[in-house]
Amino acid sequence: MKKFLALSLVICMVFLTVACAKEPVAEAIATPEQPREAELNIMMSIPQFMDQWDTYVQQFEAKMLAEENIKVKVNLEMPSSDQYESVLQARLTSDDAPDLFTLHSNNIGTYNKAGYLTDLSNDPLATKIYDNVKSTVSVDGKLLGVPLESQAWGVLYNKEIFEKLNLEAPKTLSDLENIVNILKENDYTPFMLAYQEQWVPQLMTALTLGGKVSGDIPDWVDRMNNNEGSYSEVTDIFGPIDLIMENGTIRAMEVGSEAGAADFANGKAAMFVQGTWASGTIMATNPDMKLGVFALPVNENEDCTSVNLSTSTTLAVHPDAKEMELARMFANYVLDDQDSAALFQACSFNPLATSHTYQPASWVADASSFVAAGKSYKDLVLPSAVTDEQGKLLQEYYVKTITKEDFITRMDEVYKNSNK
Amino acid sequence: MKKLNPNVSLMLFVAPALVVYGLFKLLPAVLGLFYSTTDWNGLNKTYNFVGISNFIEIISDQYFWNSVLFTLKYVVVMVIVANVIALFLATMIESINRGKGLFRTVFYMPNMISMIIGGYMWMFIVTKVLYYMADNWGLTFLDKSWIGDPRYAFIAIIVVASWGSVGYLMIIYMAALQGVPTSLKEAAYLDGASGWQTFWAVILPMIRHAVTICVFWTLNSSFQVFDVIYSLTGGGPGRATQSTALNIYEEAFKGNIRYGYATAKSTVLFVIVLVITIIQIRIMSKKEQEA
Repeated sequence: MKKFLALSLVICMVFLTVACAKEPVAEAIATPEQPREAELNIMMSIPQFMDQWDTYVQQFEAKMLAEENIKVKVNLEMPSSDQYESVLQARLTSDDAPDLFTLHSNNIGTYNKAGYLTDLSNDPLATKIYDNVKSTVSVDGKLLGVPLESQAWGVLYNKEIFEKLNLEAPKTLSDLENIVNILKENDYTPFMLAYQEQWVPQLMTALTLGGKVSGDIPDWVDRMNNNEGSYSEVTDIFGPIDLIMENGTIRAMEVGSEAGAADFANGKAAMFVQGTWASGTIMATNPDMKLGVFALPVNENEDCTSVNLSTSTTLAVHPDAKEMELARMFANYVLDDQDSAALFQACSFNPLATSHTYQPASWVADASSFVAAGKSYKDLVLPSAVTDEQGKLLQEYYVKTITKEDFITRMDEVYKNSNK
Repeated sequence: MKKLNPNVSLMLFVAPALVVYGLFKLLPAVLGLFYSTTDWNGLNKTYNFVGISNFIEIISDQYFWNSVLFTLKYVVVMVIVANVIALFLATMIESINRGKGLFRTVFYMPNMISMIIGGYMWMFIVTKVLYYMADNWGLTFLDKSWIGDPRYAFIAIIVVASWGSVGYLMIIYMAALQGVPTSLKEAAYLDGASGWQTFWAVILPMIRHAVTICVFWTLNSSFQVFDVIYSLTGGGPGRATQSTALNIYEEAFKGNIRYGYATAKSTVLFVIVLVITIIQIRIMSKKEQEA
């Protein structure tokens, strides 16, 4: 075998030299100079998609070798997602930063201030991303990352139950109350409650605040940031929150997000305040599930009934990357015209760029129809201490250790402290 | 060969361990003291020196003091519950003739898995198995909100934490019990002492050094309790079961990621534990008796 290889190599060489001798113009193509070797370190928080990204990285390596004559060795790291952030912070502060890394789009502001993000506004990828998605990963008009997981989300509901009872997606809070009553009359539990993890009840504030603020008081967040607003202006949010808590499944504090998604898939309740990211668990539990999405109404104002548009995982380029050119090329390759669609589909990410022409899942299409109709708002950017506190207080509100008034005063305090 | 000073050779033997200890335990602790006087957020390349303002802020931090109170409550209950159970188990196992090894292993086993995993295992028991028993076997007293009601959540935490630490304490107590001279026990028996009297008047004073170690260990580890609560209730509902360590963790890694402030809190916790431990060792070692 070795002999054969050596022989064929020799023959090739001979042919090449002959070819070169004959035609000097072909030299550049026929005997390429030794490819430059380079290394690229990438760290991502989505180990569940390791295989898909491994393949994509290999495609990138091949493409670079073929087109740029660079022999890239990509080191792809995927720490488990609950440790990811502390690993990333340790690496960034100890001068051992990866060239590219993922972060949650909510942290873009903080990381940008600390100087860990590169402005990608003038890269080719900037023109490909849908504008409403682009605004979720931009600060002051600068595009600071490549969005990977972007979603429009609201309340998940079981289409089968809704169709059986001739129910339609609610437009106002009284519509929702009506739906709840009809469901109860027909012995269905209206809402799935899974409050063991604090981020799940928090989703209710994300949706209700988002709807209320975008529809009624668009300057609320700005004023809150300047210590000029209060949660007492948004007491409407307790309308749907009370309705959900009073008409939900029992033992909510003992049910985690995954268990809740599985129970919902098995028909334990008709609606679930949870993002489309739970669709993986839901569809795995019950592949025949007919999953739909509607916007959570906050009050009687239909303008407040919109879906939340947010980006979670975002890929950023470190400004001190050794192979800056290459790092940017990879960032651009993620939204490559030819290969990107297959990657996004394989990871079941939502389409977010012009080249993503694949058919999305039914629930994604549902949510996208709200976006298309202009009934969406960009996820509110609140200080993360505020977001965390909302989750904690909603747990307490559910177990009735605090009242609405306590919620409002404590949230105002926490917001003020975060502004310091 | 020149004879080495015994102190030098002693130092040489402990040097490797000392270096590791110094590098990974002492140095971060000292650096932590420094960071507690800054406003570093764990991310920025620069930070400002803020003097003792972090410590001043702690004084009025209601959530922190609530978590300290919760931790104190947890420590008191744990020191009593874990040590009583461990001593009871040790005495029981020591008193049987057959199957000592089996029981020792069984009770020690929970100590061999990480408490995070143990916590998640119990989470399953508490949120699934108990309700199954309540719903299907009519054991309705189990139908409590084990995670959602702060009172029951506290019980659940104590049960799981004891389950995890009793085995370790039991081994220490067993070793001490084996060191009690049989002659003393026999003398007590001949004097007509009942089993209970023998235990109180003979055995307990003889194993007091083990009690010191065990109480010290539970005290110390209970003050730092994190994993059990983190995996079981996450400090919830709200902050009802938040221990000091969990409060510090959230300050440092969640919310407003304030490393500087969080290290200041750890310093306060360190001082509290130090003072209590010194007092405890003073009192306990006075009572220890020489065999």
